[in-house]
Amino acid sequence: MRPENYQAISHPPSNEYELNFGPNHPGIEGNYALKVKLHGDVVVAARADGGYLHRGFEKLMEGRLWIQNIALVPRICVPDPVPMEVCYSMAVEALNDMEVPERAQWLRVLQLELSRIAAHLFTFGGHAATTGMYTTMYWGVADRDQILDLFEEWTGGRVYHIYNIPGGVRRDIPAGFLDRVSHTMDYIESRLPDYDNLFFTNQVFVDRARDTGPMNQQQALEWGVTGPNLRATGLAFDVRRDDPYLVYDQIDFDIPTEAPGDAWARTLVRRQELKQSIHIVRQVVEKLPSVSGPVRTQIPNPLAWNVPAGETYTRVESSKGELGYYVVSDGGDKPYRVHIRGPSSMHAVQVLEQLAVGARLEDVAQIMFSLDACPPEVDR
Amino acid sequence: MKNMKEIDIPIEASVEQSRTNPLARVFDELVRFCRSRSMFMLHYCTGCGAIELPPAMTSRFDMERLGIQPMVTPRQADILLITGYVSIKTLKRVILTYEQMGSPKYVIGICSCTVNGGMYWQSYATAKQLDQYLPVDLYIAGCMPRPEAVLEGMRKLMDRIRSGEADGWKDYYRRYDWYLGNQQHLFGDDWQTPADVIGEASHYDLAGSGTEGEHTHLLQQCQKPLEPQQTFFQIGGSLEVKGESHE
Repeated sequence: MRPENYQAISHPPSNEYELNFGPNHPGIEGNYALKVKLHGDVVVAARADGGYLHRGFEKLMEGRLWIQNIALVPRICVPDPVPMEVCYSMAVEALNDMEVPERAQWLRVLQLELSRIAAHLFTFGGHAATTGMYTTMYWGVADRDQILDLFEEWTGGRVYHIYNIPGGVRRDIPAGFLDRVSHTMDYIESRLPDYDNLFFTNQVFVDRARDTGPMNQQQALEWGVTGPNLRATGLAFDVRRDDPYLVYDQIDFDIPTEAPGDAWARTLVRRQELKQSIHIVRQVVEKLPSVSGPVRTQIPNPLAWNVPAGETYTRVESSKGELGYYVVSDGGDKPYRVHIRGPSSMHAVQVLEQLAVGARLEDVAQIMFSLDACPPEVDR
Repeated sequence: MKNMKEIDIPIEASVEQSRTNPLARVFDELVRFCRSRSMFMLHYCTGCGAIELPPAMTSRFDMERLGIQPMVTPRQADILLITGYVSIKTLKRVILTYEQMGSPKYVIGICSCTVNGGMYWQSYATAKQLDQYLPVDLYIAGCMPRPEAVLEGMRKLMDRIRSGEADGWKDYYRRYDWYLGNQQHLFGDDWQTPADVIGEASHYDLAGSGTEGEHTHLLQQCQKPLEPQQTFFQIGGSLEVKGESHE
């Protein structure tokens, strides 16, 4: 814009004004934006503005082979990529009527739970940062790195593993790996009291998160909320227990719930889930040596693999909520249609728009982090 | 609108100005040294590569020991990190952000998606080559690059700033017409930004034959005085979009 074209804009006098919150904003989670209408610093209306991370996954997957899509799906949710791989593999297995070896199922559970711990550490680190407690974020990111190191040794990748394939997993665990998993779990469990002292019982956090962005159970069900956010309203719904997949029916774990449904409850549910996930990982570590056998079944030549025609919906419990894949095959070597039911598209759009109303501007970021929305998964 | 490939790319050798002060070179060296040792990195996560930045910035890899800190506003930032794929919608914001930053400014493209499209080479929604739209000083390839690779890239950028090789921002002023042409090719002919790039180019004595051309003339024709923006929210609480498109 050349200066001669510039003209000052006059606005009508008003107490209300509009503000672009994001995408380039330190409080927003990822590349995502909200347009908020403010009266003073209280939000009167909010509108989600996504699409910054849109890549067109569902279209891209139609153009790639069944096996190539394995490399594509983890990119959908960056902080918690493992459920994407597992859920897509389960969908292809269901279409093929394929049995997965038991050892592969236990390995998948181990990977899912390690990924859940990593994602939760990252999330409440982020939530702490939005309330001004950067130490928790530093600790959370550092402890998450311990899990990423395990993943790196196990699968070769820190963030994206591409470890699950239809029919099982790509390779077995390295020698002595379970000892290191136990050691890391001991370490993270020993850190939990520190996190409690630093963050979860911190008066700053309690005062700011209590009664911030509350929703009741009925609202949560109407808005399609799942996962820890739904359990924070008092409903003990968990896909792992209510629609068991893999070997979750052989594992003992609790489903933590909290009643209030506010930002405090949502983060506290994640804190308790961390402990349950550590408990599950310990059971898997104990069980794995006694489960022998192959880690994958024989699949046809993946470059010319015609999956039988049909349609299926598989779902898993990711760290954000219920994640589902609706896959249609027309008998070809590529999917005919894939639809991804991501939990964050509900949490970050319709729920966030509702919960932000009435909150103060500085709490909007906190509400978004307490909902654990994952922008790449919203936009896909 | 002209096809991108038909546009010839004028490249001019940097014009070393005659410096009368004998200490000028010493000062330049000192300034470049200081500049490379204290860099503010804009806090803008454009894609998935941003997930490796928190580990790189926090205790374990600790980017701060290199003098690099995240900065929340573009106007005070020196480095623009493009962490991964840029969708068309993001690219508009990235260019707006880049033009707001004060010179000298450096662009780092992280992940293979900024180099050639990466995983999303066939996607309809992403821009494939970042250096068509912005001058990129350094690429860090990988999907996604590890924190060590990010740190190594930062060290390389520091070296290049010290030796004066990292001059992508000058290139943007010298060949603004070419960059603008590519942007118009992607966003449409009515694309415009609030920054006065031509004015800045003459301010830095960098205006050359590639600064102005057919695309900047097109920009001049399309530029209209800004009108008061229509409200995003309708009166009465309903959340309908009025006026200009949502994008």
